[in-house]
Amino acid sequence: MKFLILVMLLCYSFAFSSGDTTIHTNNWAVLVCTSRFWFNYRHMANTLSLYRTVKRLGIPDERIILMLADDMACNARNEYPAQVFNNENHKLNLYGDNVEVDYRGYEVTVENFLRVLTGRHENAVPRSKRLLSDEGSHILLYMTGHGGDEFLKFQDAEELQSHDLADAVKQMKEKRRFKELMIMVDTCQAATLFNQLQSPGVLAIGSSLKGENSYSHHLDSDVGVSVVDRFTYYTLAFFERLNIYDNASLNSLFRSYDPKLLMSTAYYRTDLYQPHLAEVPVTNFFGSVMETIHTDSVYKAFSSKTSNNKINSEMPVNQLSEHDELQKANIPNDELKTEKQKCPYTQMRVDLHEKLEKFENVDTVVNLGIAVMVFVVMISSSLL
Amino acid sequence: MASEKRDKEEEEVKTDDGSPKIKPRPIVQLGIFLVAHSPVFSVVFSAAGVLALLILPLLAKNTYISENALMPGSARSMLSNRDVSDGSKLVKDIKNYWLNHEGQGVEVQKLIGKYMSDMGAEVYYQKFHPEGNQFHPLHFFSGPDSYTLLDNVSCASYGVNVAGIIRAPRGDGKESIVLVTPYDFINGGDYEALSLGITSTLFSLLARVTWLSKDIIWLVTDSRYGDYRPVAAWLTEYHSPSFKVSDLLKCGELNTADTFRRAGTVAAALVLKVDGRSERFEDTLSIYAEASNGQMPNLDLINVVNYLAVHRQGFYVKVEKVVSLLSSSWLKIIGEIFEAVGKLARTLNPDWNFGIPAADYLEGSATLASSLYSQALGIPTGPHGAFRDYQVDAITLKISPRFPPDSKTRQHDFFLRGARLLEGTIRSVNNLLEKFHQSFFLYLLTSPSKFISVGVYMIAFALLVAPLPMVAASLYIEGCKALTKSTDNPTENLKSWKWLDAAKQVFALHLLGFIVTLLPYFICQVPGQHSPRNRSIMWGTTSSSLLLITFAIIPGCSPFSSRHHGTNWAVLKSVTISAAFIGLCLMSIINFATAEIGALLLVPTCLMAQPIKPALRSRRIKSLLGAFCSMVLLTIGFPVMFFAISKGLFGEAVVGLSLGGEFWTWLESLWAWKSATYLYIGMVHLPCWLLCLCILFHPS
Repeated sequence: MKFLILVMLLCYSFAFSSGDTTIHTNNWAVLVCTSRFWFNYRHMANTLSLYRTVKRLGIPDERIILMLADDMACNARNEYPAQVFNNENHKLNLYGDNVEVDYRGYEVTVENFLRVLTGRHENAVPRSKRLLSDEGSHILLYMTGHGGDEFLKFQDAEELQSHDLADAVKQMKEKRRFKELMIMVDTCQAATLFNQLQSPGVLAIGSSLKGENSYSHHLDSDVGVSVVDRFTYYTLAFFERLNIYDNASLNSLFRSYDPKLLMSTAYYRTDLYQPHLAEVPVTNFFGSVMETIHTDSVYKAFSSKTSNNKINSEMPVNQLSEHDELQKANIPNDELKTEKQKCPYTQMRVDLHEKLEKFENVDTVVNLGIAVMVFVVMISSSLL
Repeated sequence: MASEKRDKEEEEVKTDDGSPKIKPRPIVQLGIFLVAHSPVFSVVFSAAGVLALLILPLLAKNTYISENALMPGSARSMLSNRDVSDGSKLVKDIKNYWLNHEGQGVEVQKLIGKYMSDMGAEVYYQKFHPEGNQFHPLHFFSGPDSYTLLDNVSCASYGVNVAGIIRAPRGDGKESIVLVTPYDFINGGDYEALSLGITSTLFSLLARVTWLSKDIIWLVTDSRYGDYRPVAAWLTEYHSPSFKVSDLLKCGELNTADTFRRAGTVAAALVLKVDGRSERFEDTLSIYAEASNGQMPNLDLINVVNYLAVHRQGFYVKVEKVVSLLSSSWLKIIGEIFEAVGKLARTLNPDWNFGIPAADYLEGSATLASSLYSQALGIPTGPHGAFRDYQVDAITLKISPRFPPDSKTRQHDFFLRGARLLEGTIRSVNNLLEKFHQSFFLYLLTSPSKFISVGVYMIAFALLVAPLPMVAASLYIEGCKALTKSTDNPTENLKSWKWLDAAKQVFALHLLGFIVTLLPYFICQVPGQHSPRNRSIMWGTTSSSLLLITFAIIPGCSPFSSRHHGTNWAVLKSVTISAAFIGLCLMSIINFATAEIGALLLVPTCLMAQPIKPALRSRRIKSLLGAFCSMVLLTIGFPVMFFAISKGLFGEAVVGLSLGGEFWTWLESLWAWKSATYLYIGMVHLPCWLLCLCILFHPS
């Protein structure tokens, strides 16, 4: 009987550790541009724009796998050598000094993409090209290119099918490579790419439904090509108004897509994703905002706690200031909690300090002290 | 299980009968049915073929840019007034030169070369010998570099081309785009100078842009020796360098040895010509695309130019058309009938939208006829033809401005628009990653923005030639029956050898046709100067004597031989029709337009051919009518006769012996341009025509 209970407990603890209760450890992003050729300039611009955004929101370069199937910046047809723009105003060069492309040109293949996701690399592949996520990772997977019904074209030569993607995600889940995965796809008929997904913890969003095209946003008549796709353009427009401290929810992102502006219907698949979208901040995927617990001792174990921060499910834009106040209001709360966990020595000193502070006339205390000391000295000398 | 058993039983029953009745497959049944009713079907199919040709203008589709990479008009033009003033200055300098100097020397070439090098291009001069196309029977289809540079060339006449190359600043140097402007360096017309102005404007821009991925070559050709020859000479030198130092290089003051420079593979070429004043209010842009043997450049190239010219620069774009057809009343009536049918169809079902107005039909047919004619002739319609020989897509753009050439005020705007059109086209081609391949190569144009693809126009041809195998089969069966009746000798009853006599005759006449085709080469070798008329007479007499010799040597061939030796006419006709069918089908692969026009002539002639003697003897109206028809068709089918008739249709009446001369000149031009049409006339049409003649006078 006891044994049985023990086994049950063990099982329970396993299930518990591999389940949702694993705490969020880090954020990763895999950004893929799958098409080559000069006239697909916009796909590279899409990917680089998103790269810039997630980097701005806090995911460091070593946790971003950037795959670009072609090099538009150095294309001879580019009127602005070594620069890539996603807007005809040419204000923002996306191909600045600190862009680290992990897979470029013909390295971007279905095989390499699946290897990155599943982590089955050859030994020689450097760490910088691997997705070294763990069971607490939140991963953003962004893909753009030319797609169709349940496939995405890679390099004008091969294609990734929805089955391949679902299989890779399933493998990732089995190998505990992620806690939550968000797949964002900007292609024609993007929604069809998610049809085969089964793994829990996966949130998917696509730019268009089956039978719909995803369109480019505008043409840059200096460069002579379209520079950004509609879905990505409005995604970026949403994120441009956010900073790392904002708590805009995924719901507000999803609601920001207007089918009239997109000229297609954005599609979300949420049935595999448990948390309520209104309570999940976008920075869960698009940034790297960790819940930080201050500890004095490195040894003291910390427990996983859910954040008390309220998630603003509405559009945050107009309420930024209000939101900041909300955050400030939360701060004292945190301090109170942390105080209880301080170590004994500091606790004693703090107590002493507090008691000292309670004395009103310090001078009398000092004089009294001196008198007592003189008295003690006299007694001790008389005893000797 | 039960049904299987029954099947087996049935089979056994059949086999027990002793005469196994195996039911033939449906396709065999269909074949037998068609062959059995071949007269009806041949009439139906031929009529359908002609009708299909007539409704082709209705089936024309709007052109569209098929290649994604082209993106015409997506980039803003970067031409500035500075570029235009560069172009204007060149034109002014050339005009000043003509005011002060008389033509000779290479001063103008040097002037243009100086302008090019000032813009930052690599400049070189190329000398070429004006002699080019010489007929040689073995050089058909043998490639463009078939003529050799003569060693003992005189310095008396040679042309000098100027070429400038702009290297793409960040390109890989593997590809290039060629701009050609023909210019007569001795006489120098005012309009021609405008084409130099436009290209110079463009070149000035291209020398400073950063977006080039292909090198740009500007070739100013010496059009004293025709438009085609200088371009062909330059291309030959470009693609097959000769390492032998020719005497030509040392001629004159300009030493051009070792200066020829190249860029990468030519991706596309544009030939720009400015001539004549536009009759319309707008500037007119004519597009010429047909190269040798009916080869066309990729449709995308025409689409890009047409799109930019119409939607960006406001040119009136046109392609060649047969003007005389526009006023023909019968075509107008057909157009009106089609219009009425189209309207009727739309009232029945609004989705049936194939009707077009009669005026559009007329325009479309006239353009289609011209397209067919130019392709069938197999002679390139401009210098772009030289590029097609190297599988380079090229077209000639002929711009007719609406102002006189000395109008300074209009010139600025004209240069700007012309150069913008070329800039847009070059930027599109520059965007290409591969050769043009996405759109059609086999098409007929019915307007600059409408085309008929190969899948549609082949139907007309297929319907037209479909009766030939049917009739051949039915005649063969008929002829075999007749032979079996006439001869009781069992050794001659071997069915499969009956056609051998007829085949011998057909082969002999085809051999004769081959020899007649080669004859002009030998006639050209005859010493002394002969007029085309004399040469045609020589040719005619030699050919007819050869024909008589053939008849004399092979007794079975002659229509005048005794009945005993002669073959059965039905079998002869069957083999003739088979030969015609094979010839037409082969020709349709080489040059569709020739095959189509040839089929229109040859198919009725072959089908109607029958011995005239029994018809006269029977004195029935039906057979007399048939005999008359076949005689008329044979008269029209004679190549010289057809040439005269078509000349008459185009409004040039030729009579008498001068016809022979004209015909000779026409044929000479065909072989000089290596047109497969010449081979078709000599080796398919003429033998089949002779065989039909044999059948007509068959002594049966």
